[in-house]
Amino acid sequence: MEAVLEARGLGRDYGPVVAVRSVDLTLGEGEFLTVFGPNGAGKTSLLGMLGGAMRPTRGSVSIRGETVSLSDGAWRRRVGMLSHRGFLYARLTAVENLRFYGRLFGLEDLERRIPERLARVGLADRSHFQVRQLSNGMRQRLALARALLHDPDVVLLDEPYTGLDPRAASVLRGVLTELRDGRRTVVMVTHNLKEGLELATRVAIQVSGRFAWEGVADAVDREDFERHYHQVVEDPS
Amino acid sequence: MEYFVQLSAIVWKDLLLEVRSRERIAAMGAFAVLAGVLFNFSIDTTAVRPQDVAAGLIWMTLVFGGLLGVGRTFHIESQDGAMQGILMSPAPKDAVFLAKVIANFVLLYAISLLVLGVFALFFGVDVRNNLGWVSLILGLGSLGFVAVATLFAAISTGTSMAETLLPILVFPLLVPMVVFGAGATGRLMAGRPFSEVEGNVRMLGAFAFAAVAAGAVLFRYVVEE
Amino acid sequence: MTTVGVRRGATGLTLLGLAGLVGLYWLSFFWVSTEATQGVVQRIFYVHVPAAWTAFLAIGISALCSAVYLWLRDDRLDRAAMCAAEGGIVFATIVLTTGPLWGRIAWGTYWTWEPRLTLTLLLWFIFAGYFMVRSATDDPDKGKRYAAVVAIVGALDIPFIHLSVIWFRSLHPQPVVAKPEGPTLPGDMLTTLMFGLGTFTILFFGFFLFRYALEGLRAEADLRARRSAA
Repeated sequence: MEAVLEARGLGRDYGPVVAVRSVDLTLGEGEFLTVFGPNGAGKTSLLGMLGGAMRPTRGSVSIRGETVSLSDGAWRRRVGMLSHRGFLYARLTAVENLRFYGRLFGLEDLERRIPERLARVGLADRSHFQVRQLSNGMRQRLALARALLHDPDVVLLDEPYTGLDPRAASVLRGVLTELRDGRRTVVMVTHNLKEGLELATRVAIQVSGRFAWEGVADAVDREDFERHYHQVVEDPS
Repeated sequence: MEYFVQLSAIVWKDLLLEVRSRERIAAMGAFAVLAGVLFNFSIDTTAVRPQDVAAGLIWMTLVFGGLLGVGRTFHIESQDGAMQGILMSPAPKDAVFLAKVIANFVLLYAISLLVLGVFALFFGVDVRNNLGWVSLILGLGSLGFVAVATLFAAISTGTSMAETLLPILVFPLLVPMVVFGAGATGRLMAGRPFSEVEGNVRMLGAFAFAAVAAGAVLFRYVVEE
Repeated sequence: MTTVGVRRGATGLTLLGLAGLVGLYWLSFFWVSTEATQGVVQRIFYVHVPAAWTAFLAIGISALCSAVYLWLRDDRLDRAAMCAAEGGIVFATIVLTTGPLWGRIAWGTYWTWEPRLTLTLLLWFIFAGYFMVRSATDDPDKGKRYAAVVAIVGALDIPFIHLSVIWFRSLHPQPVVAKPEGPTLPGDMLTTLMFGLGTFTILFFGFFLFRYALEGLRAEADLRARRSAA
């Protein structure tokens, strides 16, 4: 299986602070990796480097063989990131936000695509509402639509369940289940053990900047995993 | 072609946001008018002819007011982390910079014409001489200013001092713009022919060009994480 | 080049520079002829001008190292840029103190908008901005990048500022007509000036190498501390 997302010896320092020590990973098409870990484990930095938003201090990342760097390569079209920060403009409407990103990504059929995507996340009736008029859950749904607008091969999700109301959470679950269509490669960082395990094909626990534990999701029982998680987080050796 | 689409998308987005919030244009516009008022109180108009100092004051008002507005260029992106969204898109970093410069230029040029009007109104300064050339010079000066200020706004936004650092970084660099711009403006407003200030205009143009080019190259190093 | 090697070079250059400085003072006090209009005070010129030259050399070096740093991301280049900038601000300060002293005695005013002095004042602020930006960021790597941009843009702007200041000055001739160095430089004055330029340049590189070696040691110590903590 061809590796879609590959990281070798990936590390990130902020001056004297080592956020990510060294991470190796190889993911193929259709794989869904969920990374669990306590705050400060370097998960956001890891995602940032995988998505080309952050320059690694050590190591490298490649997507379908093309090295990910801070420059503007074609690989940028293949990556979509959903951060809990949303990347949305408060005074633009839902449609305007999507149209803006659509144009940045060079998408052609925006007039058809945008209403479709808004409907998928249940925001069709709020298309012309400005983002500041939307609730938190709606904003996250819009952010999800934005992240997937250009149909990326590689989807990076940073704590997507944070602060979601049940409606938004169920929309997210639905969309994420669709992402497990065998074509995409997903890396999700979350605290939510239940949701994270449900969707994953692979699982990892990140502590102090490295993967303290990795495994295949099917082989993992949820209660066992919860116990194991607390163990590993306490003693990451 | 796609470059143009990406660039115009960002310009349009910035201008649309400005139209909806009116934050920066209101601040800059109010500043332009109020500065004129304060100047009136700070200059003894019996001892000094406003016409003599108008060019300098116009340019200084532009510089201070401009920093007010341009300093916030990246603030609109920071609230929801939107800048990262743009940086992760295929849009080239120099396109992002140029788009910001264009949007800021539109803003500042409009304000510069307002400042001209304010001085005409408040000080009875006769702006009719060479108005076209004066507008051109204000435009060139605004362009150079905006290029420098936008690059350094990106820097200062990333520091703990934020916008307060901006004047310290930018003022020394703006000396050529103020010297050539105010010099040419003063002469033109006094009715001198354009040929006398051609050299100034060329320097302003060269400065603007260098500022835009340097910014386009260096911007990517400022915004990376 | 090992730190020991750098320090040896630094010591050598500094000693040579200090010897040159002694020679320069001797030349400017005892050998060179007195300038006709200003008298003895004009001798400050042989310190003032070389200091200015060195300050501008420093921004050039800093900008060049900064540019290559942004390309290669080697911390040593950033250290070099910073050490050059430090030397630069010191020599710029020398210019800004000798200038007003000279002006006060020679022409009665502390400050004239003389092009070289004005340009050095602005350069001083560019250096100040360089250091402010370095320290105002939490992430040290960000600070290095920002400072590099400040140095590069500053250096690029210097020619523009130079031209603008000269042009401005040509429109507003100061009441005192005397140019700081007089219309043309006679032979012995030129020699002394050249000697001054050479001495100050050597001194600058001596100080620069000392600072660079110190920064290198500091970086090594940081690295060791981090490794033992890990």
